[in-house]
Amino acid sequence: MILRRIAAILFVPVMLAFGSGVYLYLGTLKSKVVQERPQLPTVTKPKFVLPGTMFVVQEGRLFKLEAGSFTEIGPGGEWSQPTLTPDHTKLVAVLRTGFSSDLYLMDLGGHVLKRLTKNDSRYIDYNHWAFYPRISPDGASVMYSFDSPKVNGVDLAVWSMPLNGAQWQARRWTDPYSHTGGDVSPIPLASGGLLFVRHSIDSSTVVHSQIYFQSRALGVATPLTPEADDCSQATLSPDGTQVAMVCTHGKQSASLEIASFNGSALGAPQVLVDGGLYASPAWSPDGKALAYFGPQGLAGHFQLWWLPLPVAATPSPSIAAAPSTSASARAASTVAPTPAPVQVTEGVDLSATSPPAWF
Amino acid sequence: MLTLFCLLLSGTAGAAAYFFPVVVAGVGQTGQTVVVPPSRSQGTASTPMPSAAPGAPFTVLLLGSDDDGKNKSPLTQSMILVRVDPASKHVTMLSIPRDLWVPLSTGGSAKIDAAYAYGGAAAAIATVERNFHVHIDEYAWVGLKGLIKLIDRLGGVDVLVSNPVLDDEYPNDINGGFLYGYMRIAALPGFQHLDGTHALQYVRSRHNDINGDFGRSARQQQVLLAIKAKASTLNAADLPDIVETLKGNFTTSMGLDRVRSLLGVATAFDLANVKQIVLFVPTYTSYDRGAAYGGQSVVVPHWSQILAVTRANFP
Repeated sequence: MILRRIAAILFVPVMLAFGSGVYLYLGTLKSKVVQERPQLPTVTKPKFVLPGTMFVVQEGRLFKLEAGSFTEIGPGGEWSQPTLTPDHTKLVAVLRTGFSSDLYLMDLGGHVLKRLTKNDSRYIDYNHWAFYPRISPDGASVMYSFDSPKVNGVDLAVWSMPLNGAQWQARRWTDPYSHTGGDVSPIPLASGGLLFVRHSIDSSTVVHSQIYFQSRALGVATPLTPEADDCSQATLSPDGTQVAMVCTHGKQSASLEIASFNGSALGAPQVLVDGGLYASPAWSPDGKALAYFGPQGLAGHFQLWWLPLPVAATPSPSIAAAPSTSASARAASTVAPTPAPVQVTEGVDLSATSPPAWF
Repeated sequence: MLTLFCLLLSGTAGAAAYFFPVVVAGVGQTGQTVVVPPSRSQGTASTPMPSAAPGAPFTVLLLGSDDDGKNKSPLTQSMILVRVDPASKHVTMLSIPRDLWVPLSTGGSAKIDAAYAYGGAAAAIATVERNFHVHIDEYAWVGLKGLIKLIDRLGGVDVLVSNPVLDDEYPNDINGGFLYGYMRIAALPGFQHLDGTHALQYVRSRHNDINGDFGRSARQQQVLLAIKAKASTLNAADLPDIVETLKGNFTTSMGLDRVRSLLGVATAFDLANVKQIVLFVPTYTSYDRGAAYGGQSVVVPHWSQILAVTRANFP
């Protein structure tokens, strides 16, 4: 009898431990996707060593990826969209503060050299946004998207200002479609022209994105991609003969495509990968591969991916002079036999709206 | 034998403790009884809200509203009619414009977002049922803060922002302070991972959208699908956290059985099986303002076109 009581008393902690064990075990069954919290790039090791040096952004912090490891650069704040000067000695990046954003020139170590714009105001309506800086091939000016004038709502237009000048010297390049958010992602061309992405609306009230070409400030803008393809986030290859872009074709997934570019028109596009959430492609320094952002898993944080381009898939630079805006041109698009993309980072949360700056 | 029984008992106690918040929420936040009130305007009889048979298609009215203290009775910022077919895993979503001028179940005519303010979920359901000629089996209400917390708890959602969403008059009312203040927001285009705060900004902004509230409706459906995609990664062990997150920011008439059924559809998530409908101008609606509408800017329904859509998609 006494032994039984002792056994019963001793069994109580076992029961408590078992009950607690069940409780804790159930906790371990939680979805890993939900549990997953991103890490800073600096505490991760890329799976793949990319050539050259790349600048990326996570949660407003600038990171340099070089020789297979990340280093954080720059002062605190909400930074985004770094872009390189043509000589690869400086960066221009966007800093969001409160209800505005400004462009800053910095060295490759992230030290601010100059504030290029001043868009903040104590009066909320007088604040402005500046996004998507891109420096001209001659290094003389910086093009960017700027929400002025605010006549019909708030829409971004492409503006240009001298890199060594002042904001009052900036001049507007494009006239955006009102109330669609406007014109973004400018790419100044060596010819003095401009590639950019315009958002417009069709007769059935669907908003589209298209890549446009414009030869001079406030000149006529010519669409290079059809409305239905919803192409955006264009980026020019280092030799200026190819454009990589993300096209959604009206869907909630995208294809990553490349097309040859002759300075004012695109050739037939080639689909490299399809059916994913691809964002912000960037050309490798040698132009033989692309890097882009895509989520890890079904609906995860965005990681860096690497996609080598097969030699056969590289479009010929000899293309038709006319812009390929017709449906027939798109019908000629092909799915290239591209090698499988390689995931470079794991467990981080890179900003998919900040294209990598890579040299 | 006794040892096994005791271990089973302690294991059950451990599991019960783990799922206790779900049980509490099941009692407090799900299975809300709603009695659809009689319509003063149309004189129809009061009808309780019946439920579709288990496994059969059912229709849910999703309601999203301020819970910021601006109004004692908040207006709905979002009204989405969702038909779920658990067998075929098909989902149909129809966004109802908040400015749609309709006869309210509580009497008189007003923008449809006032129905919830005047009579809660019951009035919102009755108003939608009587105007759209649909039967609603269930409703679910989520507050703005609840949406933020839910998305954050899910670890964020992946969304395609189709165009820059810029708004100089976005309500600055989530974090306290002056409830009628406003702020500037900018959501840049492209695929991206949004946390709760930024996802709410994306679905709530409407001042610079060329499609006004219709554009916002489309964005709301988009984020709803993103939440559904993320929910497909959940399992039963996640429920206590989700329930804790939504505490006080979520009520529904659905019982736990139906919630499980919805999770089943989410698990078999396929965008191709989701049909999205927005009642765009000019086909389904038109803009108007004037004395007939109390001087307000309203959206006037084109009922013949709308009812054709609801008949086809919400039988």
